Amino acid sequence: MDAILIQGGHVVDPANGLDGEADVLVVEDKIAAVGKLSEADVRNQHKGLNRLEILPARGLLVTPGLIDMRVHVGEPGRDAEETIASAALTALHGGFTTIAVMPDTDPPLDNVAGALFVQRQGERAGYAHVMPVCAFTRGRAGEELTDIGQLVEAGAVAFSDEQRATDTPATLLRGMSYVSMFGKALIEVSQDLSIAGGVMNAGYESALAGLPAVPAVAEEMMVARACMFARETGCHYHAALLSTRNAVRALKRARKLRVKVTGEVCAHHLALTDKRVRQRYDTNLKVFPPLRTQDDIAWLKRGLMEGVIDCISSGHRGVAPQDKELEFGVAPFGAVGLETALAVAMTNLPDLPRSRLIATLTCNPARVLGLSSRKGALTPGFDGDVALIDPKETWTVTPQTLHSQRKNSPLLGEQLTGRARAVITRGKVFALGTALATR
Amino acid sequence: MSLDGDTEKAPATWTRKDLLGLEELSREEILHLLDTARGFSEISTRSIKKAPALRGKVVLNLFMEPSTRTKSSFSLAAQRLSADLVDIIKEASSAVKGESLVDTGKNLQAMGVDIVILRHQQAGAPHLLARSLDASVINAGDGTHEHPTQGLLDIFTMREKFGDLAGKKVALVGDITHSRVARSNIWGLRKLGVEVGVIGPRTLIPGAFKDLGVNIHYHLDEVVGHYDVFNILRIQMERQRKGLFPSVREYHHLYGIDHQRLSRMKPDVMIMHPGPINRGVEISHEVADGKNSVILQQVSNGLAVRMAALFLTQSAREVRAT
Repeated sequence: MDAILIQGGHVVDPANGLDGEADVLVVEDKIAAVGKLSEADVRNQHKGLNRLEILPARGLLVTPGLIDMRVHVGEPGRDAEETIASAALTALHGGFTTIAVMPDTDPPLDNVAGALFVQRQGERAGYAHVMPVCAFTRGRAGEELTDIGQLVEAGAVAFSDEQRATDTPATLLRGMSYVSMFGKALIEVSQDLSIAGGVMNAGYESALAGLPAVPAVAEEMMVARACMFARETGCHYHAALLSTRNAVRALKRARKLRVKVTGEVCAHHLALTDKRVRQRYDTNLKVFPPLRTQDDIAWLKRGLMEGVIDCISSGHRGVAPQDKELEFGVAPFGAVGLETALAVAMTNLPDLPRSRLIATLTCNPARVLGLSSRKGALTPGFDGDVALIDPKETWTVTPQTLHSQRKNSPLLGEQLTGRARAVITRGKVFALGTALATR
Repeated sequence: MSLDGDTEKAPATWTRKDLLGLEELSREEILHLLDTARGFSEISTRSIKKAPALRGKVVLNLFMEPSTRTKSSFSLAAQRLSADLVDIIKEASSAVKGESLVDTGKNLQAMGVDIVILRHQQAGAPHLLARSLDASVINAGDGTHEHPTQGLLDIFTMREKFGDLAGKKVALVGDITHSRVARSNIWGLRKLGVEVGVIGPRTLIPGAFKDLGVNIHYHLDEVVGHYDVFNILRIQMERQRKGLFPSVREYHHLYGIDHQRLSRMKPDVMIMHPGPINRGVEISHEVADGKNSVILQQVSNGLAVRMAALFLTQSAREVRAT
């Protein structure tokens, strides 16, 4: 039996209401105890210990391992973009010990074999835990439902058709009704593509840039629609990729009516605006939904402050350089974000109390994904996933400071504060520095 | 400055190796380019229409979209300045074999190209090329973003008649949303103190343009007497097919410039059109060929403006290299 004792850190464990100095003991990949723990006590209480590793954590935040509920991998189908293994490794560098991968692969994750494949690749890699979000219609085509019950048994943590709002309202309504039987969340990327067919936010900047635009109303409309369906079906609707003022307000109204809705924002939408897109036509800034305005950012922050938005994700998507070195209108959407999401949140949300900020990356996504009986908190018996975060480290995002295979970050050149220094998962300590080492 | 010799450098008011848009140019840079163009316009009146300013330089016309006027204008401008000229059109380019724009540019640069004139259907394509190449890049129209030499030649033509344009009133009529000519005109004219209005159906005018200090009008007849210049933009039939306006007949009824409307304009009003013209749609036959029309002068002036653009960007690139 092996154990890891994290000593002297500042524990932030929002689910258990902890925010203060404490030690954390992990035994055999499970949280064993949190509190004032000396090495001698540990050895006394756990007789059969072969090895006890002491991890000094003074000056660091000790949090549950972070959970990123929005990661796009190229596997299966486009392994050259990013494999499951490389995403799971990059996740550790960002402090994430669990990632949910999206079903927009080729073929899509719409069948049991696909769901099992993703988990097996994650286990073989041995880095962050990898869990599949599965499509709720076959081929993500918005027509026939997938075998949702069997997918739940195969490990699907949520359902989504990804990157578009469902074309036919009837399909979404039926899907939500069916998914609700299994208590899983239906995640919808709420953009109506008949309106949102462009490549950057609709407004002053797009008018001048001469690029086809994505009006905000395309998002608000679909968030409002899904809120109505959640009310009708009782299904948990999780609004992903919120990016606009009025979508946040639509979600807030539903929340007030006690409809079962939750919300999520990608970190880069809290940090960057469309103004920068026009300056250089830099395709690293081409994300979907597009970067919006300062006003939208203010509302996203307000959504987080008021608890209307529960989760912060990375929306990570690696894109090969030859695909990004194209004309803005032609290049694919997508940005890497696993290594910057935490720092962007810490840098851009100074008014959000720290424990609530950590909650958006731990217990809140755990709850949305139905994992809160084993992840997202430092509760004894839970999975031994822990992150050690230096809240003061200031660093600059460059291709060299990123460890991901792909470097298509919209934040290149930005200075951020806050960085994961180590993570613990699978009973191992991964010390994060210039090169990731397993100790 | 001697236009016939390549020994003298352009004055320090022009330091850009590229001409990507009018947005980033200062008033002084615009005026400097226009003054240089005025000097060059004299060359076209000589019996031997040639100056040695770009002798030994290689100019590449890279046209990824069809164009007759702009491409010939740039070709003649380059030849009048004694440059060697290479023409590439999309069908003959490696783009059809899947080569990226940047790779195409780098390959041609490796063959010694000094200036790339790029026409491209994607906004921002010249910006991408400009930061990938040492060669000068001149934007000959990028998607619906900018068409700087067209904007400059329009302004050049207005200045020929009105002199200083401060306080003058210029209207752009038609599909503003999809017009790179409109954007370049707006930037250039606003910097020179011109009152600019845009006129057209609401579905073809970005509302955000009011933040640029531009007047927005949906009803042409209400403002025909207000402006000194009407720059009529080409209406593309594909916009009608996409449902952005109901029919050509309705468009002509509401926004077509015909004899009737001309008679209610200022007597010395200037009628412009960047071409190609849809006669009988956005402009009637008699107005296009009438005494207020400067459409062919625009074309002639285009040559001088493009000579100036080639000359100044090249001089700046050489200054930079030394």
